[in-house]
Amino acid sequence: MIRLENVSKVYATSTRPALDDVTMDVERGEFVFLIGPSGSGKSTLLRLLLREDVPSRGTVWVANWNVGRLARRRVPRLRQRMGCVFQDFRLLPNKTVAENVAFALEVIGKPRHTIRTVVPEVLDMVDLGGKADRMPSELSGGEAQRVAIARAFVNRPLVLLADEPTGNLDPETATGIMTLLERINRTGTTVLMATHDRQIVDSARRRVVELSSGRLARDDHRGVYGVAR
Amino acid sequence: MLFVWREALVGLRRNLTMTLAMVITTAISLGLLGAGLLAVRTIDRTEDLYYSLIAVQVALDEPTSAEDPDCSSPVCRDLRAELEADPLVASVEYESREAAFTRFQRIYAGQSILQLVRPQSLPATLRVTMDDPLRGTEIVDRFTGRPGVRNVVDQRSTVADLFSFLGSVRNATFGLAIVQALAAVLLISNTIQLSAFTRRTEVGIMRLVGATRWYTQVPFLIEAVVTGVVGAVLATAGLVAGKVFFLDNLLSGRLLANTIPPIGMTDVLGYVGPVLVVVGAVIATATGYVTLRLYVRS
Repeated sequence: MIRLENVSKVYATSTRPALDDVTMDVERGEFVFLIGPSGSGKSTLLRLLLREDVPSRGTVWVANWNVGRLARRRVPRLRQRMGCVFQDFRLLPNKTVAENVAFALEVIGKPRHTIRTVVPEVLDMVDLGGKADRMPSELSGGEAQRVAIARAFVNRPLVLLADEPTGNLDPETATGIMTLLERINRTGTTVLMATHDRQIVDSARRRVVELSSGRLARDDHRGVYGVAR
Repeated sequence: MLFVWREALVGLRRNLTMTLAMVITTAISLGLLGAGLLAVRTIDRTEDLYYSLIAVQVALDEPTSAEDPDCSSPVCRDLRAELEADPLVASVEYESREAAFTRFQRIYAGQSILQLVRPQSLPATLRVTMDDPLRGTEIVDRFTGRPGVRNVVDQRSTVADLFSFLGSVRNATFGLAIVQALAAVLLISNTIQLSAFTRRTEVGIMRLVGATRWYTQVPFLIEAVVTGVVGAVLATAGLVAGKVFFLDNLLSGRLLANTIPPIGMTDVLGYVGPVLVVVGAVIATATGYVTLRLYVRS
């Protein structure tokens, strides 16, 4: 589903590469943690997958798209098949929970009757069926992140990218989010989650890919956060 | 489709003061452009009106004027034959002293100048209608000073002042229209940037979930186009008001009646109005497009 072949990324503002000759493979339906300290290249990797940036060298594949070579006008199609969740939720403060989720479908031109049926379904799935008309300011952090996940998942993406989705949440709420992501993973969606959350990684026992200074430092199936840290 | 319109309206409401400034500036600019177009139209019509009437007048000298009621004297007959043979000339008419005096009495009926003028002060004339009114000077050059000719007058030169006045009006309005248009373009560009900035979170999410340029950028373009079209409609309304409350009185008043043809409602609504709407929409769209290209990440 995701394949990186000798991918390097050098930013003009820095002498050291943000990603340095990284090769990795993620199968369809896998759940992968992407760990490493700040500046190790996690965000760069996610940006390359989303075609926010193009690799300096190497090839990035998502599904059957050569992402780095994708024509600009094809980029929206790629992104429609990928979901994205962030540490800071990125909800629109002037729209309700349901409107926030519907927004992701409206702007890619989904018909209204589809939106009307799909949005309540996905809100039920993230256990927010009763809060469809709340404003984001009325939600707890965990609830806000559930809305963000609902928005990312509502179009049934092939891949869900999560960038520190539990970074702003207390451990108990974080576990709830993790459970939700695993539930989404069980529907067949490939999940790639960048995180610093040792407890989450250790208890999930999923594949762990560690980046260090832009290089691939470790790739363990059923791994833990750090061996001797 | 519904979505982009809704977003555009939200954007226009959000920056209401900027939107108003933008609409007013656009309206003034387009209004001036419209006034210029009307001036051009009026000038063309006035020229048509005058060129069908004006002629080159070959005034005959005193002996001929006094003794020749029907251009039968050799002097007059020869001049007439030569003029009629000229390829530049469409037709030649003879107006005797008596006929000239009768016409003079008709034109100035009831005015005091009538008491001062005797038939003797008016010459008999050959009225020469030109095929091309602009080449009257050639006749003037050729016939001035000929035996039996008192003087030759090209009437076009007497109306030239009027045309140059109308021409200046037109140039001044076009000049102002260009300056105003520049202000309108800058305002539109500025407002779109502001609008894009206040909506950067939304646009960011849209890009992320795979919205095409149509969805991310068209709302901004619609904002610009709505501004242009509303401005054009206001400008047209302004021109109608100007016509009804000012020009109609002026052009039908004693001073200018029958001098400058009146401006019809169809000129404003049927010709200038649609032109302004198209120009407004095109300029606004182009400005919006260039602004999005230059300043806003797609």
